[in-house]
This record gives sequence, C-alpha cells and structure tokens, in this order.
Amino acid sequence: MDRKVCVVAGGMSKWGVRDGSQRDFFQEAAKACYDDNPLMDPKDIDGLLVASAYTERTSYQTHLAPLVAEYAGIKPKNICARVELLCASGSSAIILAYAMIKSGQADIVMVAGGEKLYTPQKWEVFYSELASVDHDWDSSQGLGLPPPVFAMVAKQHMKQYGTKKEHLAAVTVKNRRNSALNPKAQFQNAVTMEEVMSGRMIVPPLTLYDCCPITDGAAAVVLAVEEKAKEMTNKPLVYVMGTGQASVNNMSANMPNWTTWEALKIAGAQAYAKSKVSPDEINVAMTHDCFTISEIIEMEDLGFCKKGEGGVFVGDGQNDFGGKIPTNTDGGLLGCGHPFGGTGIRQGIEVMKQLRGDAIQQVPNATFGLTHNLSGFIAAHTVLIYGKEVR
Amino acid sequence: MSTPGISILEGKYMATMDLFPQQSKEFNQMTPFYEHLREGRFTTTKCKGCGAESFPPRVMCPECFSVDLEWIDWPTVGTVIDVTEEMVGVPLGFGKPPLIHALVDLQGKKTFFVRIINCNAGELKSGDQVRLSVFDVDPVPQEVGREVVEIPRVFYAFEPVK
Repeated sequence: MDRKVCVVAGGMSKWGVRDGSQRDFFQEAAKACYDDNPLMDPKDIDGLLVASAYTERTSYQTHLAPLVAEYAGIKPKNICARVELLCASGSSAIILAYAMIKSGQADIVMVAGGEKLYTPQKWEVFYSELASVDHDWDSSQGLGLPPPVFAMVAKQHMKQYGTKKEHLAAVTVKNRRNSALNPKAQFQNAVTMEEVMSGRMIVPPLTLYDCCPITDGAAAVVLAVEEKAKEMTNKPLVYVMGTGQASVNNMSANMPNWTTWEALKIAGAQAYAKSKVSPDEINVAMTHDCFTISEIIEMEDLGFCKKGEGGVFVGDGQNDFGGKIPTNTDGGLLGCGHPFGGTGIRQGIEVMKQLRGDAIQQVPNATFGLTHNLSGFIAAHTVLIYGKEVR
Repeated sequence: MSTPGISILEGKYMATMDLFPQQSKEFNQMTPFYEHLREGRFTTTKCKGCGAESFPPRVMCPECFSVDLEWIDWPTVGTVIDVTEEMVGVPLGFGKPPLIHALVDLQGKKTFFVRIINCNAGELKSGDQVRLSVFDVDPVPQEVGREVVEIPRVFYAFEPVK
C-alpha cells in the first residue's frame, strides 16, 4: 500500500542573537510545535531526527538526538539520530523522516533542528566556519562560510548576464519587509533600497544587507502517515510530494559552473519528477537566500524564469506577492536568520502554513509549495515539494 | 600556545582547531604534496590506469577507482579570472582585511579559488598572471613516544607576477 506522508505541526523558537543554550532553543521549538497542533499528543511520536551542524563545535555536544528527545519529552522507538548537511541539515532530516514513514519504518516522526552559534568570544564564530568547506583545500585558503565565494558568483553573474546591484538589493528589501511582520525572525525592521545600496561593504559587490546574519535558534515539525495525520489535526492536510538532493562537487576547484548551479538543476528535476508538479504550478517558494545573489540564481535554476533573467525577474517583483512566485514570504535567511540545522525546518513550517491557509502573509489559494537549501561551497542542493494533494 | 583563563589548556595544542592540514606521514597520506611545495612544485595525483588527473590529490582514482596513482607536476602560474576583497569577517589567522581571493585559471587544469598574498588592495585585475607562493605556517607539536616534536609545515597561496 502506498503510504502518504503529511506535515501535521510545526513551530520555532525566536531566532536571533539569543540569550540561552542550544538545548534551551530546542525546548522552545518543541513547545511551539506542540502548541501549533493541540490535538496532537507528543507522546505518540515514534521517531526523532535532529538537525544540527555545529553542535560539536559551538555546544561541544555530540549524540544530540537522545538529549533533544529527553528535553522534548518524547521517547522515540523507531529512530533517534542526528542528521548533518550544514545549511541543509533540516531539510535533509525531513527527507529522511519522509522516507522512514513512507517505507513503514515509522509512523510519526519529529524533525527538530537548531544551533547555538554565538559563543562568548565572537571571533570563534568565523573561525568555526572553517570547518564548513573542504578544510584541507578550501578552508586553508581562508574560506569559511564564504562571502568571498558568493561575491565571486555575483561578479560573474553580473558580467555574464548584466545583473545589477539594484537587483541584489531588491531581494533584501522584500525579505526584510517580510521578516518585519514575522515575530520569530531575527530582523524585525524593514530596510529601504537606499539603506541597502549604501550598506557597509563586506566583500564587493556584497554589502552587509546582501548577507544573511549569524543566528541562534531552533525549529521543529512533525510528520505523520496520512491515516494517523487525519486523526491528529483538524487543519488542512499538507503532504510531502517529492524530494531531490544532489551534489556534483565539493572542493571549489571542482565546481562545474559558478553561475549555473548544476546540482540545483538536478535536485529540482528530481523533486519535480517525483512530485509530478512543474515549476509553473508552484505557488510559493522558500529558497536559500544566504546571499541575495543566491535567490536570483535559484529563480533561474529552479525554472521560475529563464537563465540569466533572474536579476530582472526579482527587480520586477516577480518573486514577491502578486508576482509569479512569491518567495521567502516569512523573511527567508536574510530576514529570519540562519541557524543552519533550523533553516530547512523553518522553510517547511512556512510552506505548511501557506498551504493550510494560516500564514502571517498568506499567498491566496496556495496549493503547491517548494523549499530549497544549498550547503557548503554551493556543493549540495536540497529541494522538497509540498502540496495539498498528492499525485 | 596558551589559552588565557583556561588553565587546563596551558601549553596544549588543539589539532581540532587548526587552520591547516596535518602534514606528517602519521596523519596524512598526502604528505608528498607538501614536500613538493617546499621545492616550489604544485603537484597532484594522476591515475596510471585511466590517466585522470584529480585535485585534491587522492588515495583512489574517483574515475576508475584504481589505487595505482603517481604524483605529477601541475603549472605554478595561472591567469586571474576575477578578484574578491573581503573587508569584514576575515577568519583569525588570515591577517588584517582585506583578505584577497582570486578565481585563477591554472592553464586549463582547474579553476582555483585561492588566497592572494603579497598584493595590495585594488592591485590585481582580471587577466593578470599569478604564481604559486609557498610560506611557512606554525609547526605542529606532535607527541612521538614521550617526546613532543615540532613538525614543520608549509602552505601555499598565489601572488602577483610582477
């Protein structure tokens, strides 16, 4: 029998420069997730996947999943493990939870992700990031989670396709306007085009506002097999329809193309094919706007606009409410922040709310939603498609 | 190396927080790469079976999975495709801003995104030539029996050809 998988609850802690520890944030996220669906009994959860990338380094804590289970008040019996793919850890864990439920290995799985990234001395944050790409060959060139890499991508995209600094800025203005309405987001204020254009230079052409911040926080969702989901919620069911995750290189020297992300095209094609949904049918998307240029390229390589036209596409507001594909409606990474393991889960929560019809800023009649993460040196891409129906 | 305020770490060295790869044979089978660097050579492994030249250097060929590999020399001069200058967020150990990187075409072998040293801000441009530059990095205090021996290390960046 074909088992279908639904998202039945989701919530997150407040994200930002937070007072507290990683385990504090996981409890806040679990509580928000439980509160999202009072009909659900957390004691029924039979699996837990925890997404966290820097837990060993910034919280000095491995074997994290049983710790989170203990604090979240659940006793998993089918899976209790951690998943790590840096910035895509959360969405990777959702893919694995989906696969476990679909295959019958579990019925109800919580996916929780988060990080405590700020340490008492802030130099350690940038230093720790040297663990994120190929340590021996890229980190040792001074590349961590590297603004220089995305500055180079932006420069090449500008050179090849005529993308302008104003196009980059338009992404920030939109996402910060959205985050200002999201009480869980790191940034609670909108910014103007003028402020963004005159921002402090980080790596030209990227200014402060082109880069997502460093963030503490956590998020959690619960996935359940359809039969149980129907009994667990009185809200519209949201299904995981299809997924894709691809990697074609890791070290920078093996990157096939800096402005067309081959692994993203592969992951997207897999997710679209498995879901039987085309890019034209997606109503709302959460794409990985770690830097403004990323959202522009993602519009292209996910098939929402033609290659090379991403700059003009976002400049025209086609990725905004009323446009072709409203994107990062909760503020994205640029507005919400980016506690690595939490991000894919935050994206899943926003898509769940959009498809249920109870988002803070609602896309009318949203039926199909997409989430995307990139991770490392643009080295892996992860795409999930959610829907109010399955095909 | 001392860590002020954390008395138990006095005089200890944490390999897990090190910026550079371990270069002694006990901790890295790619040790020849670093020995060649000392001679001013930029080398990698070539598969004797299928001829594939991989970077980073390998134990196993990722194309045909042979383990019969040999070290070969690659060019030490390349052409700059584009340059970035990092003003904020430079990791500890990489000096004061700007930290300069360039995407370098190594004569068709690979495009490397590498650190540029011995170069002023605004000096390097697309089309310029850069060459391999090898420098010493802090040695690793490695326990050998009851002794602690300092294992010398080098690493590489590129610099403008002037």
